[in-house]
Amino acid sequence: MKTLKVLTAVAVMALIAVLASGIISFDTNKDHENETPNTIKKKTTTARAINGYDIGDVATDFLLKNIDDTMVSLKDFKEAQGFIVIFTCNHCPYSVAYEDRIIALDKEFKEQGYPVIAINPNNPAAYPEDSFENMKVRAQEKGFTFPYLFDAGQKIYPQYGATKTPHVFLLQKENGENIVKYIGAIDDNHKDASAIKNDYLRDAVNHLINGEEINPSKTVAIGCSIKK
Amino acid sequence: MKNIIFPLLLLIVISCREPVPQKAIVIDLEGMTHLMDGAPEKLQVINFWATWCKPCVDELPAFEKLQAAYKDDIDVILISLDDAENLESKVNPFLKKNNIQSQVKLLNHPYAAEYIPMVDQHWDGAIPVTLLKYKNQKKFFNQEFQYKELETEVLSLMNK
Repeated sequence: MKTLKVLTAVAVMALIAVLASGIISFDTNKDHENETPNTIKKKTTTARAINGYDIGDVATDFLLKNIDDTMVSLKDFKEAQGFIVIFTCNHCPYSVAYEDRIIALDKEFKEQGYPVIAINPNNPAAYPEDSFENMKVRAQEKGFTFPYLFDAGQKIYPQYGATKTPHVFLLQKENGENIVKYIGAIDDNHKDASAIKNDYLRDAVNHLINGEEINPSKTVAIGCSIKK
Repeated sequence: MKNIIFPLLLLIVISCREPVPQKAIVIDLEGMTHLMDGAPEKLQVINFWATWCKPCVDELPAFEKLQAAYKDDIDVILISLDDAENLESKVNPFLKKNNIQSQVKLLNHPYAAEYIPMVDQHWDGAIPVTLLKYKNQKKFFNQEFQYKELETEVLSLMNK
């Protein structure tokens, strides 16, 4: 009899516990609902611009500040046959993974007439790591051999149609204009330079130098979205 | 004895109901192909993100809210493009810290050009992007989402 009493008591308590927890979890849900919209409200939805250059388009020149505090334009490079323009930055792990490869490309192709021009397109308000001061620090640390320019006011990257870092635009000088010849990735493996299957950019520059067709002329790779 | 039974039971019931954050399941190109080829009867909201991607992290609450609100009708699948080496050091701690309830997969395949076109021909690799899959329908979004807009897109596909 006593056992039955205890069992009943336990059953009743269990029932209360279930109900109570139901109320508690209901409350937590309500709290959650109240919180979530506030955290989201701050953000504005932005569709990324897909306009920009295609192969064969004329790329704009620019006047952007370099990490040595000089102003740099493509027209300053009188000897160049073209340019390897790479939108890149400090904060993005993909960009960081490619730093050594970008230096190697500059060393290899600068003397052949195709120097690397790196441009940081990000807004430092969105990514403090990408400030002009931090660009100087990173360039110093890594020993960048190429100009590392700051797209102040973010006027240049949308004209090119860069959406991410790193994002490459290979240009060739033709009759005083810079014509877009290749758009996309540096190669096909950000993680391991020794395991590359397709050395897209190096192959493209070599084809350009040899007057051959570039194929593929557009490639894709994961990158960090450029933030306004 | 009886005095401790009630608090004990209460504790057990509550702890059972406390949602446990997800851990990322690593998938390879084959797993990705399988996912992309599927024609799910339950609508899939597939979001590509990474812990290092600020706009991705900013929009995760919208996906979490969607999963909670439509758990019977929708599978939110968060595909992390973090490197697999960072699974235990960055990805799982992130999921725990943010109490992520949607299922999470980490795509371990460094040759991105091999899977990007499977998702959509207009995707050039910037993240975040989102793919909605329902039966044989697909809709790709190269943008960041707020909750209302995400919900509207999902419902419009579901009621087509």
